[in-house]
Amino acid sequence: MKNIESQPTGFENWRYRVIYILLGVVFVFFAIRLFDLQIVNGADYKAQAEENRLKEISVQTTRGTIYDRNGYVLAQNVPSYDVVITPANLPGDAGTVERIYRELSDLIGVPVTNGTLTDETAKAFTACQTDFGIKEIYTIGDTNAPFSPVKVKCNVDEKTALLVKSHASDWPGVGIEVESIRSYPTGSLTAAVVGFTGPITAETKAEYEALGFIAGRDKVGFSGVELTMDEVLRGTNGTRLVEVDNAGKVLKDVRAPVEPVAGNNLELTIDTRLQSAAEAALTYEMDWWNTHLGKIRSQNGVVIAMNPKTGEILAMVSYPTYENNRMTRVIPAYYYNQLSQDPLHPMLNHAISAELPPGSVYKMAAAIGALNEGVVTPDEQIECPGMITVTEKYSTNDPGRQQPYYSYDRTGHGICDFLKGVSLSDDVYFYKIGGGFQDEVPNGGLNVWRLQQYAQALGYGAVSGIELPGEAQGLVPDPTWKRINQFENWSVGDTYIATIGQGYVLSTPLQVLESFATLANNGAHMKPTLIKEITDAQGNVIKPFTPQLLWDITKDPVINVLDDTGKPTGEKKTVEPWVIDYAKQGMREVVVSGTASKIFKDTDLELQSAGKTGTAEYCDNVAQAKDLCKPEAWPTHAWYTGYAPYDNPEIVVTAFVYNGGEGASVAAPIVQKVLQAYFDLKAMDSAAAGTGTDTGTNP
Amino acid sequence: MFRREIWRHFDFFLFGAVVFLCVFGIIMIRSAVAGNVNLLGIDQRQAQFVGIGIAIVILLSVIDYRFWASISKPLFIVTVAFLAVILIIGQASFGAQRWLDVGFAVIQPAEIAKIVLILVLADYFARAENSKKDIKWMVRSFLLLVSIVVWVLLQPNLSNSIVLMVIWFSMLWIAGLPTRYVLILGGAAIVLFVVAFPSLEPYQQGRILDFITQNPEATHGNMYNVNQAKIAIGSGGLFGQGYGNGSQVQLRFLQVRHTDYIFSAIAEEFGFVGALTVIGMLVFIILRCLRIARKAGDVYGAMISYGFAILIFFQTIVNIGVNLNVIPVTGLTLPFISYGGSSLVSLLIGIGFIESVAVHHNIG
Repeated sequence: MKNIESQPTGFENWRYRVIYILLGVVFVFFAIRLFDLQIVNGADYKAQAEENRLKEISVQTTRGTIYDRNGYVLAQNVPSYDVVITPANLPGDAGTVERIYRELSDLIGVPVTNGTLTDETAKAFTACQTDFGIKEIYTIGDTNAPFSPVKVKCNVDEKTALLVKSHASDWPGVGIEVESIRSYPTGSLTAAVVGFTGPITAETKAEYEALGFIAGRDKVGFSGVELTMDEVLRGTNGTRLVEVDNAGKVLKDVRAPVEPVAGNNLELTIDTRLQSAAEAALTYEMDWWNTHLGKIRSQNGVVIAMNPKTGEILAMVSYPTYENNRMTRVIPAYYYNQLSQDPLHPMLNHAISAELPPGSVYKMAAAIGALNEGVVTPDEQIECPGMITVTEKYSTNDPGRQQPYYSYDRTGHGICDFLKGVSLSDDVYFYKIGGGFQDEVPNGGLNVWRLQQYAQALGYGAVSGIELPGEAQGLVPDPTWKRINQFENWSVGDTYIATIGQGYVLSTPLQVLESFATLANNGAHMKPTLIKEITDAQGNVIKPFTPQLLWDITKDPVINVLDDTGKPTGEKKTVEPWVIDYAKQGMREVVVSGTASKIFKDTDLELQSAGKTGTAEYCDNVAQAKDLCKPEAWPTHAWYTGYAPYDNPEIVVTAFVYNGGEGASVAAPIVQKVLQAYFDLKAMDSAAAGTGTDTGTNP
Repeated sequence: MFRREIWRHFDFFLFGAVVFLCVFGIIMIRSAVAGNVNLLGIDQRQAQFVGIGIAIVILLSVIDYRFWASISKPLFIVTVAFLAVILIIGQASFGAQRWLDVGFAVIQPAEIAKIVLILVLADYFARAENSKKDIKWMVRSFLLLVSIVVWVLLQPNLSNSIVLMVIWFSMLWIAGLPTRYVLILGGAAIVLFVVAFPSLEPYQQGRILDFITQNPEATHGNMYNVNQAKIAIGSGGLFGQGYGNGSQVQLRFLQVRHTDYIFSAIAEEFGFVGALTVIGMLVFIILRCLRIARKAGDVYGAMISYGFAILIFFQTIVNIGVNLNVIPVTGLTLPFISYGGSSLVSLLIGIGFIESVAVHHNIG
């Protein structure tokens, strides 16, 4: 060192020493920093590197297809093409980008630039629903996630998609994303049953994400069978753990991928042809009357057809309804608002969700109750004048007041026995057996408590468990209910009114259908169902159709034996089979000689069917708003339920027309047409199947 | 010229260390390509530059460095004129550019400026060795600096301008700058920074502000690169993920990994041990250069060796400092290792001069 220091360079050694110290300090500092990064925190950074490198990809599954009972597609997946831009993949040269924008704009019709970008408008940006031009969408995409494709134009046709794809080399960064969306070939015809899918909402996000679904990408059931059978239809997403590069390009699977499991297919019990016939019959009848009356009387109604032996719903029309094909991509806010503000409530499936006064169709509960309880015998002669007067009492000590109760036919029907009472739907006959009348039907007749037992045995007042969301319970009132909800005691008049399905009684069209199906099926109450069978993606049946018996009123003791105050004694009983035979005879007489005989006269079905009319007075908020609730002349809903063949029924049909007027003249023709269509289709199917000779049911 | 005794004083340790790092650089650049088609073949190009550079080292080491002192004045004038012409013509035809394409290679005027500044200042301080270390002595050297740095600053190339200023200051320092001037210059530098900050380019201000605030939001810019570099370095651990196996490098999360961030790539693939080895080699080279400076036969030779040692030192600490996220992002390369012909060749030219000083320290 001495040697070096004595060199004639003239530089002071301490100045060199400062440099050495600086060098030492800096590099020691670097070494410490390196030690900190690599050794102390190495594991953390390694984890971050892994996070960079590894990506879990959810592989979208395919939702199951929904078919009708004949294999006709009601809901399926179709590809939808979106034009996307991946901001990071656009070329760096501004001129080229301008050219791409211009050419792309010419092809897809989205302006190159449109709208003003601010923080708010950028936040409000929703792909597929924007007025922004390509440049604005690019800027938003580039800011948020430059390597993720952003949709510029959604749902372009296949030809445009192919054109865009063919430009892959001269439009770098522009591409096509194929999305699988739902398509409903039968659209509004089956919308009330099939429903639609929608995005995963904030409320359901946690639940669906736990199942491996991706909010914002995967669609889930929102309504109808799509909602209730979501678990069957949705399938399971697959997952892949992959290595990606910084452009997000997938390089390889890091572990064996979990393949997606396709959703199962659903075959519904619906026969689309019958569904179509039912809708046509309903709208035809409403149009005919509206034209005939020269004013819009009825605009909405329900038709349901079911096989009473199996509970298979063959048709379920709730009219008007909505177009579920408009909900497949996004649920458009304006359309949704329009539907929810429509006074006819098209989003509601009225067949199961509307609670309505059933009117005379409800009389069958009183009919079987009165016979089974021995209130009257079938042959007992009862006077059926046009009006009776009873003393209305609201409590035991109430002196009461005289209140007249009218039959729909003020001239009366003379003397009635059971069959005449049912077939002519004589109100006075039912007042008397339901609530008792003087010495003619002593001891208060059937009374409201026992009426309730029989109504419930037929399916009123409870949900059926059909595979649809939003099923209503209806109401089978009793004195306790009235005290709690109306702050009033129950009177004899209330029993009269309840017996004929008016007043507080409310039921859904499906419940009306169920009650007749139970009687038609000799007391066996089958669970109404829309699901025929479930098959997997390969077509193997994984859940074949098995009819489900809820209860048989002739075998299962579903009727509580009550004491004088209406309290259950604990004893239970069944309905005698002969009672049901009489009820069926009564309903047969409705077609042959009763209220519906005019409609069915000279049709094939006169010889085959049975049924019951109903004309239910109502005064709801809609009627009040239109000032229709005039005393003695309330507006009426039209009801009819029929089944055929009466001795071995295959089909039971309920038709309901809101504000339809008279059941016999408005609802019965609809049922008649649907029954006719059913047998015509059956004959067609037999002929097609080559059996040809099997026309026994359709002489 | 090619007498055997020349090689007796040739610093083979320095030469060996430099060649080692250059070759290691080629290997690392090969890894850093990482499948990017735009970078394909840059390892071969770098190898060519290394070959050219080593030839220059040998050529320069046999030329007596005093020759450069004799042409100091014309060298200075030609260089200044060249820088000015390049800047004016360049801006007129291509807009702001930091490099000049001469067909077979790309020349960065700033690299020429560094070499010439060291030579010219070495000559100046050698001549002024015995004059008073007063303000006049300082200002004269400053004028030499300004006449060169102004063209680089106007490009604009701030980081290389700072390199030039650091070279000037460190040479002033070793030549015997009185301590009070050190304080004055330090104060002037701070004032200059504060005054000049608003007139910096927005991206330069952004880099400094991002560094100060460690802005975590800047995912799509400089901060992204810095963070990815940190992850790359950290994930290397003790021994690294292995050559060609660093996920940050090979999957291209680490950006500009063949030039500015090659140190991070080394740290990821060769770990703490590898990174320290590279630092150690660079420190060894700097110390070797300083040793030659102290053994030089005259002030001119000492100044040249010292100047280039400082150049290597400064570029090393700035580059590694950026990689370690301890200073704001600048575009300086890692000496001998980063891809880039201009930078490599200019540093090897410097090594050539230093070897010449070593070889010729007694002769003359």
